[in-house]
This record gives sequence, structure tokens and C-alpha cells, in this order.
Amino acid sequence: MPVRAIDPALLRPAVRTMPWRAIGAAGALGLLLAAVPRLMGEEADARLALDALRASAVTFALGAAFVLDDPARHTTAAVPTRRAVRHGLRVLLVASVAAVWWTAALLLVPEAVRPPAVGITVEAATALTLALSGAAFAIHRGDGARPGRAVAAFLLTLAVLGPLLTPGSWALFVPPDDPRWAAAHGRWAVLLCAEVVVGAVCAAEPGRRLTPRGLRSPSGTSGPSRA
Amino acid sequence: MSTLTAGTPAATVTAGTRTSWAAVLTLARFETRLLLLRAPVLVAFAVYLGWTVWRTRTSWDGFPALQDADRATQGAPLLVGLAVLLCANQAVLRSRRYDTDRHLAVLVVQPWRRTAAHLLSVAAVALLTGVCVAGQFTWEALKPGAVGQGSPGELLVGPLCVLLFGAAGVLLARLVPSAFAAPLLIVLCLFFALLAPMASDEDSAARWLSPVVEESGPHPLPSELLGRPAAWHALYLAGLALSVALTAVLLSGAGRLRSLRAACAGAVLLTLVGAVAQSQGVPRETTEARTRYSVTPEKEQRCAERDATTYCAFPEWGARTDDWDRVLDGVRSLAGGAAQDRPLVVRQRVEARYGLAGDAAIDPATRPGEITVGTSWGGNRAPEFAVAVAGVLVAGTEAKAGGMCDGRMVTVMWLALADRPDPMADLRRVRLDDSDAGSAVVLSRTNPLSMTAAQTEVVRELLLRPKDGTAAKVRAHWAELTAPKVTTDRVARLLGLDEPEARDECL
Repeated sequence: MPVRAIDPALLRPAVRTMPWRAIGAAGALGLLLAAVPRLMGEEADARLALDALRASAVTFALGAAFVLDDPARHTTAAVPTRRAVRHGLRVLLVASVAAVWWTAALLLVPEAVRPPAVGITVEAATALTLALSGAAFAIHRGDGARPGRAVAAFLLTLAVLGPLLTPGSWALFVPPDDPRWAAAHGRWAVLLCAEVVVGAVCAAEPGRRLTPRGLRSPSGTSGPSRA
Repeated sequence: MSTLTAGTPAATVTAGTRTSWAAVLTLARFETRLLLLRAPVLVAFAVYLGWTVWRTRTSWDGFPALQDADRATQGAPLLVGLAVLLCANQAVLRSRRYDTDRHLAVLVVQPWRRTAAHLLSVAAVALLTGVCVAGQFTWEALKPGAVGQGSPGELLVGPLCVLLFGAAGVLLARLVPSAFAAPLLIVLCLFFALLAPMASDEDSAARWLSPVVEESGPHPLPSELLGRPAAWHALYLAGLALSVALTAVLLSGAGRLRSLRAACAGAVLLTLVGAVAQSQGVPRETTEARTRYSVTPEKEQRCAERDATTYCAFPEWGARTDDWDRVLDGVRSLAGGAAQDRPLVVRQRVEARYGLAGDAAIDPATRPGEITVGTSWGGNRAPEFAVAVAGVLVAGTEAKAGGMCDGRMVTVMWLALADRPDPMADLRRVRLDDSDAGSAVVLSRTNPLSMTAAQTEVVRELLLRPKDGTAAKVRAHWAELTAPKVTTDRVARLLGLDEPEARDECL
């Protein structure tokens, strides 16, 4: 079946089943965080603005971690539309929302203290892609219908420990006036590419899944219920 | 969960309250095991323990003041607290996620008892954190160089934070039953934790409302001068954690229980008492004591005699006398003339008037033969003290040693460093820029000294030669070496070296 023919038909149910509450809550909180430097007025400095934007990006990514949650996953696994298309549609939807949202967040930060837009956008994109490809990976490896909770926990753990444990020789979390800013953002871009690749690989339906408990159907419905 | 659903509902129906509490305990045990095995909690504990062990190995260069060591246990448990917040929240929501609420509703373990079981599991993790904190503090206290005393109030902060965060996770699950609420709350907490130090100044009462109030300076203060309301803050945290926990229980359907409502009101009262009592600022007696300790330390100190030296230290630091004596003896044994048995007074001094985080300089002592020693020791402090001793032996007083700008500096530095285990490394450590060539400032607890490039060259040369030969020359020419205005070239010749090539100009 040609992909183009099914997309419009899929679009409406995809829009309807997206976890808009999670994305909405995360987006609203993210905008609130991004607005802090403007609310603080004169007291805000570049460091605070950078922290606010980073926190804001992590917040949105936490919401986006729930995008691939689909209670009906085990039923839709059997439809002829490939998983890549179903995932792609959701990712496209969330990416378009994210683009608008991030522009708003960037514009909320006063221009005087705003970090370089390209660099910080790469960081935000890396966080968002990590959430999405993490969810794709969780679905690819496991057979849960809703990986969002675990992916959010993973993302949060990384966001807390990353700045604490990144070695100095591979600095990622640098302020804009640091001479390593450019090098760090080269690394961010590498991470982003790696995540995109992982996400793309995980978008495919696994052929056969051998788990310790033996061969299982791809829909996962024949296994024992996991409480 | 399945063990409980398949458990003994029939028995609980007949046996009443006692059995249902037994069920709560069983559930709590099960939830504790699950909570401790969740990946975020495991990672948080691994990072917490790893970081703590790594730091405690070398903290305070092996000479901790326990009134500072207790505060150092507070920050890292927050990591565990955040993980417990997330996982306790998800544990409470588990039955909703798997849609087993309906099955659990037929059990006699009411929802509020289930909440209580979750809170007990959080308390168990807080207890485990308490064990870790106790271990860290005991390790510091058992170090041979430890002085002072810790405060239970400060030690309780870490475990109480874990309890508070976990209870907040349970309450959040009862308020907003969705999986994304806890992660978002954590990001918010982290962001405002970053923001908090910017907004709070030293005297603001509001800063004590945050769970952990870090204050640290380079020099420990005697424990009477801390002025931290540690016990009140622990009471505030305990009250807050209890209030949050009891609110969570009340919100899960125990609203009709009078005793619980009364307990919740009591916990809120406890929180308010703690919050008000802790925000009174530094008490006047402490401020007066800080001035007294800073201006007239001799009135607070106990003195001990060792040979020709008197060591006067604040009561808590009496045990350091032997460490000071070892360094001072090493310097004195190399000196010549009357300096060998000149009476010296080593006086401990502290500048406490600017609070815990203050790093104010101390004026050099003006009385002849008086040497200042600070409240920290180990690492760079030992060679710095040796330089101060040598300065007083050569120049007479600390004040005169500070303004020294002639060849005597060579004698001072050689006396101070020659008896150290690794003189060249110590030379770099006492110099501000960690160099061993060129001119530099030499650190001490009071005013710094300065070395010219030529003096550095001579001292380096001397330190590379055998100690005994130079010691004999120093003793033979002691009077001339310690005469004011002696040139560096002359000192080099007296000690059997060529004149230095580097520049000999003071900074």
C-alpha cells in the first residue's frame, strides 16, 4: 500500500491519541521556566537565562517522552501500516509543536541575556530526540504499550547526573562565554546524530524477538499479563 | 502486588484492625523492596555512595573539624531524595497504570492504609540514608586528625530530606494522578534550587525555609560560633515531612479519622514552630562570642607548654598541639644562635565576625615570638605554618616578617622547607602560583610574604643540596644571615652558592 495514500486517514486518529495533556503540561511549565529571566528583570544574567532554557528544554522533552505511549499498541501492531509510519506521524506532530514552542521559549528570554540560539537549540533538540528515540528503543526492545514513564525517569536521571558527571575533557554543559562553547556544541551535534540513528533503527518492527521466556508474538498479547 | 491480591483477605475480615496493620506492614515491606530495586534509586545510591566515599577519603586533608563535617553530609542525599520522589510517585500510581484499582478496592486494606504503606517504604529508604550519613560522619570522626564536635540536628537533615521528598512524591500521586507530574516537579525543584542561592543573602530568614542550607568557608569556626539553628531546622524538616505524609494519608480517604486529622494539625504546628524558631537570625550571644574569639582569643584559649614553646589553642583544637609541635620543632632544629631556644608562643586565631563563609585575612601578630596558626590543618596549611615559624625566628615578629624584602627571605624559606618530607613540592605549594621559579607571593595564615626571582633561585638550589651541610653554614653565619638589609647575593655567598642571575626586586 503506498504510504502517501494512508497518511491523511491515519492523521486524525494519531492526533486524537497523542498524549496532549502531558505535552501541554510540560510545554506550559517549560514556557514558565523560560519566562523567569524576563520576570526577574534587571537581576537576570546570562547564566540564569541559560539554566532557564536548559531546564525548559528538559521539561518539554519529559513531556515528549510520553508521545509514543499508545494503549492500543498491541492491537495496531497487526495493521498493514508499518511501525515506522505510525511512529513517524507522531514524531512529526510533536516536532511541529516543539518547533513553535521552542521559538516562543527563545523569544521569552530577553535578547540581552539570550545564549547563542543555534547552540542552545542543538542542546534542546538533543534532549527532545533522546526522549523520542529512547521511547522508540523501549518499544523496540520490550513489549510495553506505554514506555513514557520509564523513559522520563531515564531522561531525568541523565539530566541530573549529566552536568555532575560529564568529564572535563568532554565538556557538554558550558556557559556561552566559555572558549569550549563551540567544541561542546560539536559534541552535542554528534550526540544528536547518534540519537537520530538509534531512533531510526528502532522505528522498524522487530522481526522476531527472542526473550529469555522464549519466542513471543510481536503483539505481545500472548504473553502472561505483567502486573 | 500479586502476592497481596492473592493474600489473606478472608482472615483480615474476621481479625479486624490488628491484622489490617499487619497487612500494611507486609505491603510496606514489599514496596520497600520494589523501591530499592528501581533503577533511579539504585543509580542515585550508587552515585551518592561513590561520590561520598571518593570525597571522604581526602576531605579536609585528613584533618576535619567535625562541626563542618556534619554539614558536609547534607547535600548528596538530595540526589537520593529526588530519585525516591520519582519512584514513590510511580509506585503509588502503579495500580492505576495497570488498572488494578478495582481489584484492590475489594480488599479490606483501605486506600489510606495503602498510602501509609508507601510512606513506610519511603521511611525505610530515609533510614538507609541515615545509615549512610552516620557512616560518613563516623569515618570523619575516626580520622586521627579530627577535632570538634558534630551536631545531631545537622546530621538529621540528609535523611529528613529523603523522607520529605518521598512523602512529597506520594502526596503528588494522590493530588495529580498522572505519570508526568513527578518528573516536571523535579525539574521545577532543581531549577529553583539553582535560583535560590542568587536570591538569598546571609541574614534573610527565608533561606532557612529551603531543606538544605549550605554554608561553608575555608576556615572552620569553633562550634559555639556557628550560629546555625540546626535543631530547629531539623524540627522544621521533620514537621514538614510529617505534614506532607499525613496530608497524603488524609487525601486517600482517611478524612473522617479524627486522630489523623489531629496528628496532621500537630505536624503543621510543629513545622510552624520550627520555621519561626529557625528564622531568628544569628543570636546576639553568638555575635558577641564571635567578636570575643576574633579580638581577644587569649581569653578563650587553653595553653600547653612544650620545651620552650607555648601552644595556645581554642579548647576543641587542643589535640592538634602535637602536629604543630612536630612542624615547629623541625624548623627550630635548623635555626642557629639564640633562635634555637628562644621562647615562642603559637596562638590559634580565627576571624569569625564575618560569619561561616567569611574568608577575611587576619592581621599579623605584633608581639615578639608570637606565631599565628589557623583552625584548618593538613595539606598546604602545614608548610604555610612552617613559613610563619621561620619568619618569626628570623625577623622577630610576624608583622616584621610580612614586610621583609631582602636576603633574609632565603633563610626563612630554607628553614621552613628543609625539614619537610618533600621540600620542592612544598615550595610550590606555599607559593600562590604553584611555581618554583620566578618571583611569587608566599601564602601564610596572616599577611603573605614575597620572594624575588633571585631568592627563588637560591632557595631552590639550597633545597637540592644535602640538608646537613647547609644547616652547619646557617648556624655559623646566623647573625649575618638574619641581619636586616642583607642582600640576596651576600646570603648566597655565605651559604656557599654562586650569586643568582635572576632579578632581585621585590614585588
